[in-house]
Amino acid sequence: MDFDIIFGNAARAGLGPQAAIFALAAIGLNLHFGYAGLLNFGQVGFMMLGAYGTAIVVATWGGSLWLGIPFGLGLCVAFALALGIPTLRLRSDYFAITTIAAAEILRLLIRSSPATDITGGPFGLQAIANSFFDLNFLPDGRFGWGTFSYSSNQLWVMIVAWILVVLCSALVLALIRSPWGRVVRAIREDEDAVLSLGKNTVAYKLQALVIGGVIGGLAGVIDALQQSGVGSENFEPQVTFFAWAALILGGLATTVGPVVGAVLFWFLREGVESFIRELSEQGWLPNALADFLDGAEGAISIALMGIGLVALMALRPQGIFGRRRNLHLGT
Amino acid sequence: MSGVTTIRPELTQAALEAAPPGRLKDDPILITFGMLKTFGGIRAVDIDHLEIERGTITAIIGPNGAGKTTLFNLLTGFDRPDRGSWRLDGRLLGGLPPHRIARLGMVRTFQLTKSLSRLTVLENMAVAAQTQRGERLERALLRWLWQPEEARVRERAQGLLERFGLAHMADEQAGTLSGGQRKLLEMARALMADPTLVMLDEPTAGVNPALTESLLEHIRELNAEGVTIVFVEHNMDVVMDISDWVVVMAAGRILTEGPPQEVVANEEVIDAYLGRPRDVADGEEGEDA
Repeated sequence: MDFDIIFGNAARAGLGPQAAIFALAAIGLNLHFGYAGLLNFGQVGFMMLGAYGTAIVVATWGGSLWLGIPFGLGLCVAFALALGIPTLRLRSDYFAITTIAAAEILRLLIRSSPATDITGGPFGLQAIANSFFDLNFLPDGRFGWGTFSYSSNQLWVMIVAWILVVLCSALVLALIRSPWGRVVRAIREDEDAVLSLGKNTVAYKLQALVIGGVIGGLAGVIDALQQSGVGSENFEPQVTFFAWAALILGGLATTVGPVVGAVLFWFLREGVESFIRELSEQGWLPNALADFLDGAEGAISIALMGIGLVALMALRPQGIFGRRRNLHLGT
Repeated sequence: MSGVTTIRPELTQAALEAAPPGRLKDDPILITFGMLKTFGGIRAVDIDHLEIERGTITAIIGPNGAGKTTLFNLLTGFDRPDRGSWRLDGRLLGGLPPHRIARLGMVRTFQLTKSLSRLTVLENMAVAAQTQRGERLERALLRWLWQPEEARVRERAQGLLERFGLAHMADEQAGTLSGGQRKLLEMARALMADPTLVMLDEPTAGVNPALTESLLEHIRELNAEGVTIVFVEHNMDVVMDISDWVVVMAAGRILTEGPPQEVVANEEVIDAYLGRPRDVADGEEGEDA
């Protein structure tokens, strides 16, 4: 049993680009749900637009990456407005249903054959991040120890991604501590009360949706950069729910919650998968069970994470950093 | 009636004749004409004409289902009438969303208190202050632009909390307040918005007698400062105690209106709402709580 390997794998995932991407997505969701009370189940739609917007400008239109990224984020703004303007006047459950449907419709459109000329359809788009990696000042080679190591380009993506995580966390914190943020949190508690005090609640909800969506779009941009390409299979609905899991794990309406939640989510997911693989390789499992688990380590890991989340909800429903008494304050 | 043409352009002779139940006031702040709201086949509110006199305390009473809260919702923009027009200080309000009506000075409270539970009591107050610079997204990050104003808002909020006896709870989350304290907070919060007309939906429902007394005192003080008050109330002692004028609603219509003493003596009101003592020989005292 080599715990170095298991821990190395887990740590690599927990600090790697994937964790940073999910941290960004969860920071956006935290602004949406944790602070503004908007149930967004379509965060992956924003990630997809950020990623595809960037990739289309570079790979399809031959433009610069530095035009592609703002274009992708601009699409996120448009998506937020298109989602929010018709539905934010309605009850929150209508909004929730619309978001999950809109994100999935968007994905199906992107991978459809008529869109192939622009989006690459089922094949996606490749070789988009060259000008990003040209900026990499790190020397070649691998950095780290054993399984806990990254290539130079991975490390470069990580540095940029984690800086963005810090910046976005700081942005959300500053916004939420301003009078603007006070109105947004008040809307989460009771929209009618805020309306009766003369605030245009729909406008505030729309603004929160746009900002959280653009942060989700940044997550998508980083994803496109680290793979130097995009593919529609990376933007299935479960991505949204992994981001939700990270947010709930860390704690809603806290600054570090979404970040620590994302790190922990990927650490545990990779750690458990690695652990199961080690178990079977060392022959510590009965043959029948080992055969059953062979190749399914990822699925088992996700299933165990699900059980873990259920246990968390029972034992510590406010997440790691949340305040328990907040749950008991009826709204 | 010198102000008729300027303040009340709808008040043509024909309208006057068509609207006998709504009594004209000397200086109305709120005027409602032909307000109709139906739910299915039920006429929840069907008011030809109602005026609220500026600077008074007006009670709206009536049995459950009389349309009092619906009327509140219509006047404050939380619900839309099938037809009807109403004016606040001469300004037509029809079609305006609730936040615009609140900004014009008509601020309401709710029958079931709406405290913002996971905000502190002080934040509950501060959010009600009008036209704050820092509430604009483009200025939210530019702290120096709104910091001085924020300090003034907090100071004013603190002052109002002291007046309402909630200052010691300022930094507690509003969800930890008792029911009566929430009623106080909601009223204080409405004041924070600088209203000219406050609409209180059952301000004393579920509040203990001592706190009720203090709530009424606040309503009187507020009124003395020039704020017009309209409130829905079931407790007749409260109505008799503080109102200058009473409007009685039944089945969506205005049954009658007048000074409190006049209204409680009205046969129609007794039949529709107040009821008669079952045994007149027994003393009238002592039965009501």
